[in-house]
Amino acid sequence: MTFRSARLLPFVIVLFCVGCLLIAPAFPAIAATQAEVEEITQQWQTGAHALNDVNCASCHQAEETKAFVASPNQESCQSCHESAVETFLLGKHGIRTLEGESPLTPAMARIPMKHDAFDKQLSCNACHDVHTVNTMQASVESCLTCHNDNHSLNYENSKHAQGVLSSSLPRPGAAQVTCATCHLPRTATKKTDGTVVVKVNHNNTYTLKPRNRMVGEVCMNCHGVEYSYNSIFDDELVEANFDRPPTLEHESFELMRAAEQRRSGNASASQEDSE
Amino acid sequence: MENRPNQNVFWRDKFGLRAVIILAVAVLFISVSGAFAFEKKSIFLPGETSEGHHLFEASCASCHEGFKPVSNENCNRCHEAELEGDLHGATKFKDPRWASFRENVDVLTCTACHSEHIHMFGRGVHLQPDLCMACHEELTLTQLKSHEGFAADGCWTAGCHNYHEHDTISTGFFRENMGAPDMLPVQQLPDRVVTTELDAAPAPNLSKEFLEGQS
Repeated sequence: MTFRSARLLPFVIVLFCVGCLLIAPAFPAIAATQAEVEEITQQWQTGAHALNDVNCASCHQAEETKAFVASPNQESCQSCHESAVETFLLGKHGIRTLEGESPLTPAMARIPMKHDAFDKQLSCNACHDVHTVNTMQASVESCLTCHNDNHSLNYENSKHAQGVLSSSLPRPGAAQVTCATCHLPRTATKKTDGTVVVKVNHNNTYTLKPRNRMVGEVCMNCHGVEYSYNSIFDDELVEANFDRPPTLEHESFELMRAAEQRRSGNASASQEDSE
Repeated sequence: MENRPNQNVFWRDKFGLRAVIILAVAVLFISVSGAFAFEKKSIFLPGETSEGHHLFEASCASCHEGFKPVSNENCNRCHEAELEGDLHGATKFKDPRWASFRENVDVLTCTACHSEHIHMFGRGVHLQPDLCMACHEELTLTQLKSHEGFAADGCWTAGCHNYHEHDTISTGFFRENMGAPDMLPVQQLPDRVVTTELDAAPAPNLSKEFLEGQS
Protein backbone atom coordinates (compact mmCIF):
# COMPACT_ATOMS: atom_id res chain seq x y z
CA MET A 1 0.00 0.00 0.00
CA THR A 2 1.37 3.36 -0.92
CA PHE A 3 1.72 6.14 1.64
CA ARG A 4 -0.93 8.17 -0.12
CA SER A 5 -3.64 5.52 -0.06
CA ALA A 6 -2.82 4.67 3.57
CA ARG A 7 -3.56 8.26 4.52
CA LEU A 8 -6.88 8.05 2.73
CA LEU A 9 -7.89 4.86 4.55
CA PRO A 10 -9.53 6.58 7.59
CA PHE A 11 -11.63 8.72 5.27
CA VAL A 12 -12.68 5.67 3.29
CA ILE A 13 -13.72 3.90 6.49
CA VAL A 14 -15.68 6.91 7.72
CA LEU A 15 -17.34 7.33 4.33
CA PHE A 16 -18.28 3.63 4.31
CA CYS A 17 -19.83 3.86 7.78
CA VAL A 18 -21.80 7.01 6.97
CA GLY A 19 -22.96 5.46 3.72
CA CYS A 20 -24.12 2.32 5.51
CA LEU A 21 -26.07 4.37 8.03
CA LEU A 22 -27.73 6.31 5.26
CA ILE A 23 -28.86 3.33 3.24
CA ALA A 24 -29.62 1.15 6.29
CA PRO A 25 -33.36 1.94 6.32
CA ALA A 26 -33.61 0.41 2.86
CA PHE A 27 -32.08 -2.87 4.11
CA PRO A 28 -33.75 -3.35 7.46
CA ALA A 29 -32.75 -5.73 10.20
CA ILE A 30 -35.68 -8.16 10.07
CA ALA A 31 -35.78 -9.58 6.58
CA ALA A 32 -36.68 -13.09 5.55
CA THR A 33 -34.97 -15.14 2.87
CA GLN A 34 -36.86 -16.32 -0.20
CA ALA A 35 -36.74 -19.89 1.12
CA GLU A 36 -38.20 -18.84 4.47
CA VAL A 37 -41.04 -16.96 2.82
CA GLU A 38 -41.81 -19.99 0.62
CA GLU A 39 -41.84 -22.34 3.61
CA ILE A 40 -44.07 -20.06 5.66
CA THR A 41 -46.42 -19.53 2.71
CA GLN A 42 -46.78 -23.29 2.38
CA GLN A 43 -47.53 -23.66 6.10
CA TRP A 44 -50.09 -20.89 5.91
CA GLN A 45 -51.78 -22.36 2.81
CA THR A 46 -52.76 -25.58 4.58
CA GLY A 47 -53.84 -23.89 7.81
CA ALA A 48 -57.15 -22.56 9.06
CA HIS A 49 -56.14 -18.95 8.51
CA ALA A 50 -55.72 -19.28 4.74
CA LEU A 51 -58.91 -21.29 4.35
CA ASN A 52 -60.78 -18.49 6.12
CA ASP A 53 -59.33 -15.88 3.81
CA VAL A 54 -56.95 -14.48 6.42
CA ASN A 55 -54.14 -13.47 4.11
CA CYS A 56 -50.63 -12.09 4.72
CA ALA A 57 -51.79 -8.48 4.76
CA SER A 58 -54.49 -9.25 7.33
CA CYS A 59 -51.76 -9.38 9.96
CA HIS A 60 -48.63 -7.96 8.29
CA GLN A 61 -50.12 -4.67 7.15
CA ALA A 62 -51.36 -1.80 9.32
CA GLU A 63 -55.04 -1.31 8.65
CA GLU A 64 -54.95 2.46 8.27
CA THR A 65 -51.48 3.39 7.06
CA LYS A 66 -50.99 0.20 5.00
CA ALA A 67 -47.44 0.13 6.36
CA PHE A 68 -45.73 -3.27 6.46
CA VAL A 69 -45.61 -4.91 9.91
CA ALA A 70 -42.79 -7.47 10.23
CA SER A 71 -43.76 -8.83 13.66
CA PRO A 72 -47.46 -8.38 14.42
CA ASN A 73 -48.31 -8.42 18.13
CA GLN A 74 -51.37 -9.35 20.18
CA GLU A 75 -53.27 -6.30 18.99
CA SER A 76 -53.30 -7.77 15.50
CA CYS A 77 -54.54 -11.15 16.80
CA GLN A 78 -57.15 -9.40 18.94
CA SER A 79 -58.96 -7.99 15.91
CA CYS A 80 -60.35 -11.51 15.35
CA HIS A 81 -59.54 -13.46 18.53
CA GLU A 82 -60.99 -10.95 20.95
CA SER A 83 -61.72 -13.10 23.98
CA ALA A 84 -58.52 -15.15 23.60
CA VAL A 85 -56.36 -12.03 23.86
CA GLU A 86 -58.55 -10.44 26.52
CA THR A 87 -58.24 -13.49 28.77
CA PHE A 88 -54.51 -13.88 27.97
CA LEU A 89 -53.89 -10.36 29.25
CA LEU A 90 -55.58 -11.14 32.58
CA GLY A 91 -53.47 -14.21 33.36
CA LYS A 92 -49.87 -14.37 34.53
CA HIS A 93 -48.61 -14.73 30.96
CA GLY A 94 -50.10 -11.46 29.78
CA ILE A 95 -50.57 -9.26 32.83
CA ARG A 96 -47.29 -7.36 32.39
CA THR A 97 -48.27 -6.46 28.83
CA LEU A 98 -51.70 -5.32 30.05
CA GLU A 99 -50.05 -3.11 32.65
CA GLY A 100 -47.74 -1.48 30.12
CA GLU A 101 -44.60 -3.26 31.38
CA SER A 102 -42.17 -5.19 29.18
CA PRO A 103 -43.61 -8.64 28.28
CA LEU A 104 -43.15 -11.46 30.79
CA THR A 105 -40.02 -13.58 30.41
CA PRO A 106 -39.49 -16.96 32.11
CA ALA A 107 -36.54 -15.39 33.98
CA MET A 108 -39.05 -13.42 36.08
CA ALA A 109 -40.90 -16.52 37.30
CA ARG A 110 -40.70 -17.90 40.84
CA ILE A 111 -41.28 -21.47 39.64
CA PRO A 112 -38.56 -23.46 37.82
CA MET A 113 -38.09 -22.51 34.16
CA LYS A 114 -35.70 -23.78 31.47
CA HIS A 115 -32.52 -21.71 31.25
CA ASP A 116 -32.53 -21.74 27.45
CA ALA A 117 -35.90 -20.01 27.47
CA PHE A 118 -35.12 -17.39 30.11
CA ASP A 119 -35.27 -14.45 27.71
CA LYS A 120 -38.27 -15.56 25.66
CA GLN A 121 -40.95 -12.87 25.65
CA LEU A 122 -44.53 -13.92 26.21
CA SER A 123 -46.91 -12.97 23.43
CA CYS A 124 -49.40 -14.90 21.30
CA ASN A 125 -46.73 -16.31 19.03
CA ALA A 126 -44.47 -17.30 21.92
CA CYS A 127 -46.78 -20.33 22.17
CA HIS A 128 -48.67 -20.39 18.87
CA ASP A 129 -47.21 -21.10 15.48
CA VAL A 130 -49.48 -18.60 13.78
CA HIS A 131 -48.71 -19.84 10.27
CA THR A 132 -49.48 -23.54 10.72
CA VAL A 133 -52.18 -22.77 13.31
CA ASN A 134 -51.32 -26.10 14.92
CA THR A 135 -52.77 -25.77 18.39
CA MET A 136 -51.63 -29.28 19.35
CA GLN A 137 -48.15 -27.84 19.61
CA ALA A 138 -49.42 -24.84 21.57
CA SER A 139 -51.11 -27.22 24.04
CA VAL A 140 -48.07 -29.19 25.21
CA GLU A 141 -44.78 -28.56 23.42
CA SER A 142 -44.95 -24.82 23.81
CA CYS A 143 -45.53 -25.10 27.56
CA LEU A 144 -42.57 -27.44 27.96
CA THR A 145 -40.31 -25.02 26.08
CA CYS A 146 -40.23 -22.90 29.26
CA HIS A 147 -41.76 -24.78 32.21
CA ASN A 148 -39.29 -26.96 34.08
CA ASP A 149 -41.08 -27.90 37.30
CA ASN A 150 -41.78 -31.54 38.21
CA HIS A 151 -45.50 -31.38 37.45
CA SER A 152 -44.76 -30.21 33.90
CA LEU A 153 -41.85 -32.59 33.34
CA ASN A 154 -43.93 -35.54 34.57
CA TYR A 155 -46.71 -34.90 32.06
CA GLU A 156 -45.40 -37.60 29.74
CA ASN A 157 -45.81 -40.18 32.57
CA SER A 158 -49.40 -39.15 33.14
CA LYS A 159 -52.33 -41.17 31.87
CA HIS A 160 -53.55 -37.86 30.51
CA ALA A 161 -50.68 -37.83 27.99
CA GLN A 162 -51.76 -41.06 26.33
CA GLY A 163 -52.73 -40.44 22.74
CA VAL A 164 -51.54 -36.86 22.93
CA LEU A 165 -47.80 -36.99 22.38
CA SER A 166 -48.19 -39.27 19.34
CA SER A 167 -51.12 -37.33 17.89
CA SER A 168 -50.90 -35.87 14.42
CA LEU A 169 -54.11 -33.83 14.68
CA PRO A 170 -53.90 -30.08 14.13
CA ARG A 171 -55.70 -29.41 17.41
CA PRO A 172 -56.52 -31.47 20.51
CA GLY A 173 -59.66 -33.56 20.13
CA ALA A 174 -62.42 -33.87 22.73
CA ALA A 175 -60.79 -36.95 24.26
CA GLN A 176 -57.23 -35.62 24.52
CA VAL A 177 -56.02 -34.12 27.77
CA THR A 178 -53.18 -31.69 27.18
CA CYS A 179 -51.62 -29.07 29.47
CA ALA A 180 -54.07 -26.57 28.01
CA THR A 181 -57.10 -28.79 28.74
CA CYS A 182 -56.68 -28.04 32.43
CA HIS A 183 -54.76 -24.76 32.47
CA LEU A 184 -56.24 -22.95 29.47
CA PRO A 185 -59.52 -24.80 29.29
CA ARG A 186 -62.15 -24.65 26.61
CA THR A 187 -65.42 -23.17 27.76
CA ALA A 188 -68.69 -23.74 26.01
CA THR A 189 -71.28 -20.97 26.09
CA LYS A 190 -74.71 -21.10 24.58
CA LYS A 191 -75.68 -18.10 22.51
CA THR A 192 -79.21 -16.72 22.43
CA ASP A 193 -79.90 -18.47 19.10
CA GLY A 194 -79.06 -21.80 20.72
CA THR A 195 -75.69 -22.34 19.05
CA VAL A 196 -72.83 -23.34 21.30
CA VAL A 197 -69.60 -21.40 21.04
CA VAL A 198 -66.44 -23.02 22.39
CA LYS A 199 -63.69 -20.63 23.35
CA VAL A 200 -60.33 -21.13 25.01
CA ASN A 201 -59.86 -19.27 28.27
CA HIS A 202 -56.30 -17.98 27.95
CA ASN A 203 -56.25 -16.65 31.54
CA ASN A 204 -53.90 -19.35 32.81
CA THR A 205 -54.37 -18.21 36.40
CA TYR A 206 -58.15 -18.68 36.43
CA THR A 207 -58.28 -22.46 36.86
CA LEU A 208 -55.04 -22.70 38.82
CA LYS A 209 -56.27 -21.77 42.29
CA PRO A 210 -58.39 -22.37 44.27
CA ARG A 211 -58.11 -26.02 43.39
CA ASN A 212 -61.84 -26.61 43.68
CA ARG A 213 -62.38 -24.22 40.78
CA MET A 214 -60.30 -26.51 38.60
CA VAL A 215 -62.31 -29.50 39.84
CA GLY A 216 -65.58 -27.85 38.83
CA GLU A 217 -64.36 -26.34 35.58
CA VAL A 218 -62.11 -29.10 34.33
CA CYS A 219 -61.72 -32.40 36.23
CA MET A 220 -65.45 -33.11 36.46
CA ASN A 221 -65.78 -33.18 32.69
CA CYS A 222 -64.42 -36.72 33.00
CA HIS A 223 -64.02 -37.70 36.68
CA GLY A 224 -66.33 -38.13 39.66
CA VAL A 225 -66.16 -35.51 42.41
CA GLU A 226 -64.43 -37.71 45.00
CA TYR A 227 -61.79 -38.96 42.57
CA SER A 228 -61.15 -35.35 41.54
CA TYR A 229 -60.78 -33.92 45.05
CA ASN A 230 -58.73 -36.85 46.29
CA SER A 231 -56.34 -36.30 43.38
CA ILE A 232 -56.00 -32.55 43.30
CA PHE A 233 -55.50 -32.11 47.05
CA ASP A 234 -52.67 -34.67 47.11
CA ASP A 235 -49.59 -32.51 46.52
CA GLU A 236 -47.41 -35.53 45.71
CA LEU A 237 -49.85 -36.80 43.13
CA VAL A 238 -50.07 -33.34 41.57
CA GLU A 239 -46.28 -33.21 41.35
CA ALA A 240 -46.25 -36.66 39.75
CA ASN A 241 -48.84 -35.35 37.29
CA PHE A 242 -51.48 -37.94 38.27
CA ASP A 243 -49.46 -40.99 37.27
CA ARG A 244 -51.58 -43.28 39.50
CA PRO A 245 -55.11 -43.32 40.96
CA PRO A 246 -55.53 -41.25 44.16
CA THR A 247 -55.00 -42.74 47.62
CA LEU A 248 -55.96 -39.65 49.62
CA GLU A 249 -59.31 -39.64 51.37
CA HIS A 250 -60.46 -36.05 51.60
CA GLU A 251 -62.10 -35.64 55.00
CA SER A 252 -64.97 -33.60 53.59
CA PHE A 253 -66.50 -36.72 52.05
CA GLU A 254 -66.34 -38.67 55.31
CA LEU A 255 -68.11 -35.76 57.05
CA MET A 256 -70.67 -35.58 54.26
CA ARG A 257 -71.42 -39.30 54.46
CA ALA A 258 -71.86 -39.07 58.24
CA ALA A 259 -74.17 -36.08 57.76
CA GLU A 260 -76.20 -37.93 55.14
CA GLN A 261 -76.52 -40.93 57.44
CA ARG A 262 -77.73 -38.72 60.29
CA ARG A 263 -80.18 -37.13 57.92
CA SER A 264 -81.64 -40.38 56.67
CA GLY A 265 -81.45 -41.85 60.22
CA ASN A 266 -83.46 -38.95 61.56
CA ALA A 267 -85.88 -39.24 58.70
CA SER A 268 -86.54 -42.93 59.34
CA ALA A 269 -86.69 -42.34 63.11
CA SER A 270 -89.34 -39.68 62.72
CA GLN A 271 -91.18 -41.96 60.34
CA GLU A 272 -91.23 -44.65 63.03
CA ASP A 273 -92.47 -42.11 65.56
CA SER A 274 -95.40 -41.19 63.42
CA GLU A 275 -96.40 -44.77 62.87
CA MET B 1 -17.91 7.00 80.42
CA GLU B 2 -18.65 10.67 80.69
CA ASN B 3 -15.40 11.51 78.96
CA ARG B 4 -16.27 9.49 75.85
CA PRO B 5 -16.46 11.81 72.85
CA ASN B 6 -20.00 12.10 71.55
CA GLN B 7 -20.15 11.57 67.81
CA ASN B 8 -23.27 13.69 67.34
CA VAL B 9 -21.59 16.63 68.97
CA PHE B 10 -18.54 16.09 66.80
CA TRP B 11 -20.76 16.29 63.64
CA ARG B 12 -22.54 19.35 64.87
CA ASP B 13 -19.28 21.12 65.54
CA LYS B 14 -18.03 20.37 62.09
CA PHE B 15 -21.12 20.81 59.81
CA GLY B 16 -23.91 22.15 61.94
CA LEU B 17 -27.20 20.27 62.50
CA ARG B 18 -28.98 22.18 59.77
CA ALA B 19 -26.46 21.10 57.15
CA VAL B 20 -26.81 17.45 58.20
CA ILE B 21 -30.60 17.61 57.89
CA ILE B 22 -30.43 19.31 54.50
CA LEU B 23 -27.96 16.69 53.31
CA ALA B 24 -30.19 13.84 54.55
CA VAL B 25 -33.25 15.30 52.81
CA ALA B 26 -31.23 15.79 49.62
CA VAL B 27 -30.02 12.17 49.67
CA LEU B 28 -33.58 10.95 50.21
CA PHE B 29 -34.89 13.16 47.40
CA ILE B 30 -32.18 12.02 44.99
CA SER B 31 -32.74 8.32 45.73
CA VAL B 32 -36.53 8.59 45.41
CA SER B 33 -36.40 10.55 42.16
CA GLY B 34 -33.61 8.26 40.94
CA ALA B 35 -35.83 5.25 41.61
CA PHE B 36 -38.55 6.80 39.44
CA ALA B 37 -36.14 7.98 36.74
CA PHE B 38 -34.39 4.62 36.39
CA GLU B 39 -37.57 2.54 36.70
CA LYS B 40 -36.39 0.92 39.92
CA LYS B 41 -39.66 1.37 41.75
CA SER B 42 -39.29 -2.03 43.41
CA ILE B 43 -37.26 -0.33 46.16
CA PHE B 44 -40.56 1.07 47.44
CA LEU B 45 -42.06 -2.39 48.03
CA PRO B 46 -42.71 -2.78 51.73
CA GLY B 47 -42.66 -6.59 51.72
CA GLU B 48 -43.04 -9.78 49.70
CA THR B 49 -45.67 -9.48 46.95
CA SER B 50 -48.16 -12.30 46.49
CA GLU B 51 -47.80 -15.10 43.97
CA GLY B 52 -49.88 -13.56 41.21
CA HIS B 53 -49.01 -9.92 41.66
CA HIS B 54 -45.23 -10.18 41.94
CA LEU B 55 -44.91 -10.24 38.16
CA PHE B 56 -45.92 -6.59 37.91
CA GLU B 57 -45.03 -5.43 41.40
CA ALA B 58 -42.95 -2.53 40.10
CA SER B 59 -45.98 -1.13 38.30
CA CYS B 60 -47.34 0.63 41.41
CA ALA B 61 -50.04 2.50 39.49
CA SER B 62 -51.62 -0.81 38.44
CA CYS B 63 -53.21 -0.95 41.90
CA HIS B 64 -52.38 2.30 43.68
CA GLU B 65 -53.75 5.67 42.85
CA GLY B 66 -51.38 7.91 44.75
CA PHE B 67 -51.64 7.14 48.44
CA LYS B 68 -55.37 6.37 48.36
CA PRO B 69 -56.48 2.94 49.60
CA VAL B 70 -56.72 0.30 46.86
CA SER B 71 -60.31 0.29 45.60
CA ASN B 72 -62.61 -2.61 44.70
CA GLU B 73 -62.79 -1.21 41.15
CA ASN B 74 -59.09 -1.69 40.85
CA CYS B 75 -59.23 -5.34 41.91
CA ASN B 76 -62.18 -5.93 39.61
CA ARG B 77 -60.23 -4.73 36.58
CA CYS B 78 -58.69 -8.20 36.55
CA HIS B 79 -60.74 -10.32 38.93
CA GLU B 80 -64.26 -9.85 37.64
CA ALA B 81 -64.47 -13.36 36.20
CA GLU B 82 -63.48 -15.00 39.48
CA LEU B 83 -66.17 -13.14 41.40
CA GLU B 84 -68.96 -13.63 38.89
CA GLY B 85 -70.68 -16.46 40.72
CA ASP B 86 -69.78 -15.32 44.23
CA LEU B 87 -72.57 -16.41 46.59
CA HIS B 88 -70.78 -14.83 49.51
CA GLY B 89 -70.59 -11.41 47.87
CA ALA B 90 -72.33 -8.06 47.55
CA THR B 91 -75.80 -9.50 46.82
CA LYS B 92 -75.78 -11.47 50.05
CA PHE B 93 -74.39 -8.81 52.34
CA LYS B 94 -76.55 -6.00 51.03
CA ASP B 95 -79.57 -8.15 51.93
CA PRO B 96 -80.91 -6.91 55.32
CA ARG B 97 -80.84 -10.48 56.64
CA TRP B 98 -77.06 -10.59 56.43
CA ALA B 99 -76.10 -6.93 56.40
CA SER B 100 -75.31 -6.81 60.13
CA PHE B 101 -72.39 -9.19 59.57
CA ARG B 102 -70.61 -6.35 57.81
CA GLU B 103 -69.94 -4.97 61.29
CA ASN B 104 -67.69 -7.96 61.99
CA VAL B 105 -65.78 -7.70 58.74
CA ASP B 106 -66.32 -5.12 56.03
CA VAL B 107 -66.87 -7.92 53.51
CA LEU B 108 -67.80 -5.57 50.68
CA THR B 109 -64.27 -4.16 50.57
CA CYS B 110 -61.66 -6.49 49.05
CA THR B 111 -58.82 -5.12 51.17
CA ALA B 112 -60.68 -5.77 54.43
CA CYS B 113 -59.58 -9.40 54.09
CA HIS B 114 -56.91 -9.43 51.39
CA SER B 115 -53.59 -7.85 52.25
CA GLU B 116 -50.73 -7.33 49.84
CA HIS B 117 -46.99 -7.00 50.52
CA ILE B 118 -47.41 -8.80 53.84
CA HIS B 119 -47.16 -12.53 54.14
CA MET B 120 -49.81 -14.28 56.18
CA PHE B 121 -51.01 -17.25 54.22
CA GLY B 122 -50.62 -17.66 50.50
CA ARG B 123 -53.90 -17.78 48.63
CA GLY B 124 -53.87 -15.21 45.91
CA VAL B 125 -53.39 -12.11 47.99
CA HIS B 126 -52.54 -12.96 51.54
CA LEU B 127 -55.26 -13.82 54.01
CA GLN B 128 -55.50 -14.31 57.72
CA PRO B 129 -55.92 -18.10 58.13
CA ASP B 130 -58.64 -17.87 60.81
CA LEU B 131 -60.64 -15.20 59.01
CA CYS B 132 -63.86 -17.28 58.94
CA MET B 133 -64.07 -17.06 62.73
CA ALA B 134 -65.04 -13.39 62.52
CA CYS B 135 -68.57 -14.60 61.74
CA HIS B 136 -68.64 -18.40 61.96
CA GLU B 137 -67.00 -19.08 65.31
CA GLU B 138 -70.11 -19.71 67.31
CA LEU B 139 -71.82 -21.82 64.67
CA THR B 140 -68.82 -23.93 63.82
CA LEU B 141 -66.96 -24.46 67.04
CA THR B 142 -69.86 -24.82 69.45
CA GLN B 143 -72.98 -25.88 67.57
CA LEU B 144 -71.61 -28.18 64.88
CA LYS B 145 -70.86 -31.52 66.55
CA SER B 146 -69.17 -32.81 63.42
CA HIS B 147 -66.60 -30.01 63.61
CA GLU B 148 -65.70 -30.49 67.27
CA GLY B 149 -61.99 -30.10 67.88
CA PHE B 150 -61.31 -28.54 64.49
CA ALA B 151 -58.72 -25.77 64.40
CA ALA B 152 -59.97 -22.23 63.87
CA ASP B 153 -57.47 -21.66 61.07
CA GLY B 154 -58.29 -24.83 59.14
CA CYS B 155 -61.59 -24.01 57.39
CA TRP B 156 -60.09 -23.12 54.06
CA THR B 157 -56.40 -23.83 54.57
CA ALA B 158 -57.30 -27.54 54.72
CA GLY B 159 -59.12 -27.24 51.40
CA CYS B 160 -62.63 -27.86 52.74
CA HIS B 161 -64.25 -24.44 52.40
CA ASN B 162 -63.84 -21.52 50.13
CA TYR B 163 -65.25 -18.07 50.70
CA HIS B 164 -65.81 -16.84 47.15
CA GLU B 165 -65.71 -20.12 45.28
CA HIS B 166 -68.45 -21.86 47.21
CA ASP B 167 -70.45 -23.58 44.51
CA THR B 168 -68.02 -26.42 43.74
CA ILE B 169 -67.21 -27.25 47.36
CA SER B 170 -70.54 -26.75 49.14
CA THR B 171 -72.47 -29.53 50.89
CA GLY B 172 -75.18 -29.17 48.24
CA PHE B 173 -72.66 -29.74 45.46
CA PHE B 174 -71.19 -32.76 47.23
CA ARG B 175 -74.62 -34.21 47.95
CA GLU B 176 -75.54 -33.91 44.31
CA ASN B 177 -72.32 -35.34 42.93
CA MET B 178 -71.06 -37.82 45.51
CA GLY B 179 -71.01 -41.48 44.65
CA ALA B 180 -70.15 -40.91 41.00
CA PRO B 181 -67.61 -43.38 39.56
CA ASP B 182 -63.93 -42.40 39.19
CA MET B 183 -64.44 -42.11 35.46
CA LEU B 184 -67.79 -40.66 34.49
CA PRO B 185 -69.81 -42.76 32.00
CA VAL B 186 -69.51 -39.99 29.42
CA GLN B 187 -66.22 -38.13 29.41
CA GLN B 188 -66.76 -35.09 27.35
CA LEU B 189 -64.50 -32.12 26.94
CA PRO B 190 -65.81 -29.25 24.83
CA ASP B 191 -64.66 -29.83 21.27
CA ARG B 192 -63.35 -27.02 19.19
CA VAL B 193 -64.65 -27.04 15.65
CA VAL B 194 -62.88 -24.86 13.13
CA THR B 195 -64.92 -24.12 10.07
CA THR B 196 -63.45 -22.96 6.78
CA GLU B 197 -64.91 -20.53 4.28
CA LEU B 198 -62.77 -21.42 1.28
CA ASP B 199 -62.02 -24.74 -0.40
CA ALA B 200 -58.50 -23.72 -1.30
CA ALA B 201 -56.07 -21.14 0.00
CA PRO B 202 -56.01 -17.81 -1.85
CA ALA B 203 -52.80 -16.49 -3.37
CA PRO B 204 -50.62 -14.73 -0.78
CA ASN B 205 -51.15 -10.97 -1.02
CA LEU B 206 -47.73 -9.91 0.27
CA SER B 207 -44.36 -11.37 -0.67
CA LYS B 208 -41.52 -9.00 -1.52
CA GLU B 209 -42.28 -7.01 1.65
CA PHE B 210 -41.04 -9.96 3.72
CA LEU B 211 -37.72 -9.99 1.87
CA GLU B 212 -37.23 -6.32 2.49
CA GLY B 213 -38.34 -6.64 6.08
CA GLN B 214 -38.66 -3.76 8.44
CA SER B 215 -36.22 -2.09 10.79
